Amino acid sequence: MSGCPGSRTIDFSEKEEQGESESGKRQSQLRQWPLQLHLVSPHAPYFQEKDILLVADCVPFALADFHKDYLKGKSIAIACPKLDSDQEVYIEKVKSLIDDAKINTLTVMIMQVPCCFGLVQVAKGGAEKATRKIPVKQVVVGIEGGVLSEEWI
Amino acid sequence: MKNILNKEIKGIIDTYPEVGKILEEYGIGCAPCSVGSCLMKDIVGIHNLDPLQEATLMYRIEKVIYPDRDVPEPKVDLTKMATPRKITYSPSVKKLVDEHVLIKRLLALIPSIVEYIESSMEVDKDLVLSCVDFIRNYADKYHHMKEEDILFKYIDENAEIIQIMYKDHDTGRNHVRQVVEGVGSGDKAAIKEHLLGYMDLLTQHIKKEDEILYPWIDRQLSDTQVGEMFQRCNAADASVGDELPRKYENFINELEGKFLMEVVK
Repeated sequence: MSGCPGSRTIDFSEKEEQGESESGKRQSQLRQWPLQLHLVSPHAPYFQEKDILLVADCVPFALADFHKDYLKGKSIAIACPKLDSDQEVYIEKVKSLIDDAKINTLTVMIMQVPCCFGLVQVAKGGAEKATRKIPVKQVVVGIEGGVLSEEWI
Repeated sequence: MKNILNKEIKGIIDTYPEVGKILEEYGIGCAPCSVGSCLMKDIVGIHNLDPLQEATLMYRIEKVIYPDRDVPEPKVDLTKMATPRKITYSPSVKKLVDEHVLIKRLLALIPSIVEYIESSMEVDKDLVLSCVDFIRNYADKYHHMKEEDILFKYIDENAEIIQIMYKDHDTGRNHVRQVVEGVGSGDKAAIKEHLLGYMDLLTQHIKKEDEILYPWIDRQLSDTQVGEMFQRCNAADASVGDELPRKYENFINELEGKFLMEVVK
């Protein structure tokens, strides 16, 4: 096991299923479009005074109950701190979300791999540049789908 | 066991003192509580024990209360134990915890202050009244009012634990009134009694808030409420300004300079 933890090959297809219930259809909790951070405008009506999720691209694939437990009732922007370019634009957008859209809270959801913490730095950078202050939360998701930590930072 | 869960803890401990000792082992300090009107089920919920601890605690209590009953060993769904348990505070609650630090610094000085008053010919009125000023304007007006006017409004104010907090605040205010009366009449014994009473009360009060009440409240708050509360607490702080907390921090620094130097001598 060596190399970058963010791109290392790991196979857990043999993982034992634990008490899953898949009965019934689930409703999407997404209430906006677009959601990629380069594409969204902080002036969009769905951001104004809302609780916002800033989510690393891989998180919703890992976290089975993402819609129910996190997306419900919130607006969202997604990004990949490892692969996306022009991330200084991201910092300015976070600042604008705080100052112009007057968002209520910002929850940054990342995977446990080290490169993902870059998205937390983006959020902190934007929050530090903003005039208004808001609570910022960090949620770290494990590659096997568990929530490893959840705390206000 | 269901009817036990709905009983007040004081009655249970009075009848079965062993239950108080068991609760102590789990960091639940109900036995010395002067009120004891919390229900057993709320106490277990408020302390947020992990499923294994909670099941074992209830098993042991049930064995004490019903020694002849064939109580089954606790069975626990260990998959539920993946929930993170580390205490982290939301930003506004964290600020209240930080404000406790300055209050605890005064509490730590009270034995030295009392000793100084006892050994002095006359009561140092300025000293005692400046401590009263700190308690009334920083601990009570600046800090407790944010709890009473903002934080407690986000939960059921009729919950026993909140009623206990209100009672503690009132008891503290009464101690302070008695200290002021003691200064007026030059009654050293009254000043000593009520300064030490305030110290004991607030020491336990702050411990309950930091370790039990605040985490319990935080667990119930939605992100939306955390954001709202953050803005309301910031507005409350802004209405007072930066000068007030800075003034009282300087006061404590000076007081420590005076009394910690006395200890060094």
